[in-house]
Amino acid sequence: MHLSDDDIVRSISAHSPEGIEALYDRYGGLAHTVALRILSDRGAAEDVVQESFLAVWRRGATFQSGRGSLRSWICTIVRNRAIDRLRGDRHRTRLDTPIEGESIEPAVSDPWAAVALELSGEEVRKALAELPDEQRQTIELAYYGGYSQSEIATAMEVPLGTVKGRVRIALDKLRASLADRVETPWQTQ
Amino acid sequence: MADAMSHEEVADLLALEALGALEPSDRDDMERHLATCAACRHAADEYAELASLLPAALEVVPPPARLRRNLMAQVYAEATASPTVPWWRRVIDAIPANRTFTVVGAVAVIAAIAFGIWGATGRNLPQPAVTISYPVSGTTATGTLDVPAGGTPAVLLVNGLQPLPSTKTYEVWLIPTQGSPKGVAFLSPSPQVGGWVAAIPGSLAGYKSLAATVEPAGGSSTPSNTEVLSGQLSAS
Repeated sequence: MHLSDDDIVRSISAHSPEGIEALYDRYGGLAHTVALRILSDRGAAEDVVQESFLAVWRRGATFQSGRGSLRSWICTIVRNRAIDRLRGDRHRTRLDTPIEGESIEPAVSDPWAAVALELSGEEVRKALAELPDEQRQTIELAYYGGYSQSEIATAMEVPLGTVKGRVRIALDKLRASLADRVETPWQTQ
Repeated sequence: MADAMSHEEVADLLALEALGALEPSDRDDMERHLATCAACRHAADEYAELASLLPAALEVVPPPARLRRNLMAQVYAEATASPTVPWWRRVIDAIPANRTFTVVGAVAVIAAIAFGIWGATGRNLPQPAVTISYPVSGTTATGTLDVPAGGTPAVLLVNGLQPLPSTKTYEVWLIPTQGSPKGVAFLSPSPQVGGWVAAIPGSLAGYKSLAATVEPAGGSSTPSNTEVLSGQLSAS
């Protein structure tokens, strides 16, 4: 039986093991890929994925309605935990939001939900490849390297203000490029 | 303090936040602005969704099967050991959302009222019945195999096993009345439950007993002579 993301959210909220099973079957591969990309260590990546899904299981009943999609939410949890592992919790400047504060409400009417469903990995790769090197590197340092804005500025030897603007411009370009690829009506702001 | 940020300045911070790079010194300003700006809250959602698409560019590396097995063993074990969801939560969650009020909905409401009266006595809703609990034991280990009614996997809960090196694992076998033992699961340590757990998928029909042995990580095709526990699958 195919469960929608909405069904999975309700099942998780009801503290149903089947909800976690469905969540893992749908997004476990993505979660593992993200963790492995950040940590470059299979054992550590598996630990992070298991910890992330167990955290969802154990705290599922506390979630409140909010914003964002289920895919985005689980990606955020896994990424944050992987980055914490990468940083060794030396300095939690952050950066992430604790899981208790994360909310789930699959935005089925959100145009990006439709975009995400239609996009292939190849299309996302192409869109990223179209970005100028410094913009792509900035995204990589932040998302996969766990660098903060100041750390990026230091690593790339540019002013902090440049980093701030660069990240926004890069994401805006990416958004426009991806929206074009799936022919989704889109208005850039 | 008044919100003096422009939408463009906030957009810079939202993009950083979406990538996890925003620092606390800027977060307060951003959140103060978001509290009063619906357009920027919407932009925040979009940036977050956009960031979550980034992993799509990665070549997917499927997780090993053991990850799912270990995860679900832990989940089912904890569900069995601590079914503490309050009655009202189950009733509310059982009512479909965003659906037309139908006969099913009416029945759910009636059930909610009935359970409410029942719950007012301070009880919880009945949990899925554990129809059978088989004891298992070994030289140092004791535990149970709990077989819930209806569809969910049986859960093996064991105490008294020693930690193993990363090159070894505790493999669980079902022994049929005829034929060779079948490896069905691995025991995982569970601090939450306080022991070792494994979820046993599928029906137990046709099996006379269960055992666990020490095997190389990843499991074996046949059990070695290292049994650490066993139990009969017959009603006691």
